[in-house]
Amino acid sequence: MIRRRFTRPDHSVPELNMASLPDLIFTVLFFFMIVTHMRDVEKHVQYTVPSGTEVEKDAHKSAIVHIFIGKPIDGSSDNYQIQLNNEIATVQDIARFIESERRQMATEDNERMTISIKADRDVPMAVINDVKQALRQSYALNISYAATEIK
Amino acid sequence: MFRRRHDSEIPPLNTSSTADISFMLLIFFLVTSSMDSGKGLHRQLPSPPQEHEQVADINEQDIMTVTLGSDGVLKIGEHVVTIQQLQEEVRQFAAVNPHRRVIALNVSAKTRYDDYFQLQNAIVAAYRPLKCQPRLSDVIIEEGGEEP
Repeated sequence: MIRRRFTRPDHSVPELNMASLPDLIFTVLFFFMIVTHMRDVEKHVQYTVPSGTEVEKDAHKSAIVHIFIGKPIDGSSDNYQIQLNNEIATVQDIARFIESERRQMATEDNERMTISIKADRDVPMAVINDVKQALRQSYALNISYAATEIK
Repeated sequence: MFRRRHDSEIPPLNTSSTADISFMLLIFFLVTSSMDSGKGLHRQLPSPPQEHEQVADINEQDIMTVTLGSDGVLKIGEHVVTIQQLQEEVRQFAAVNPHRRVIALNVSAKTRYDDYFQLQNAIVAAYRPLKCQPRLSDVIIEEGGEEP
């Protein structure tokens, strides 16, 4: 009788305590919820950004405004077009676009607002120059030519 | 006695599915998130031209004229150069007086953006070892070329 009481625990494997597993996963989940930045624009133009050696990381994600320049994905036109937010626009729309972006931004982001120009390699400079002149008129002077880095 | 003890106990809540639920949420956020932080060549544009603008006198030897044609051919003055030669030339040119010297870019309207980007990249690279910020907004005059 006494022997049986002693031998019994050796046969059963102790159960793993899973109680802390949900807490662990929740911690990772909250990390991702805070860090992530939802992709809110859909690409309507096709572009391949150039690559260079002096490329820097864009700091302050919330202060970045994107301008896409490329050929439309749906093939509706063979010309290079500008995409602001979610729609194809023209150079004349840039001033209004910058103003509305400014209004939506927090005050501290307003000063460090950077325009990221995501343009295709083959875009003629005339288009880029028009965009740059429009940005100058809107006093959006910090720009970043989006590119990939060559190491 | 046995029955009374059983009644007073609160049945434990089955929490084994909490892990699964939070896993699903985690995977959702993993998939929808864009962790890629953008990279780019940072530049500062000059302020828009004012109505009564003072024309600054710049010594001719302080100006370097770089021409980028629609075919991607780079020229310093009249000499055709490669992008590496240009970077070296700009480095030597700017080393003397980086705050005063001006690089005048003449870019054709039909030039590919990639060629222009490589030119900008080379200029930024040339200014990097000079320890001064590549504040090219006041040292580069960019003009839209009238080349056909």
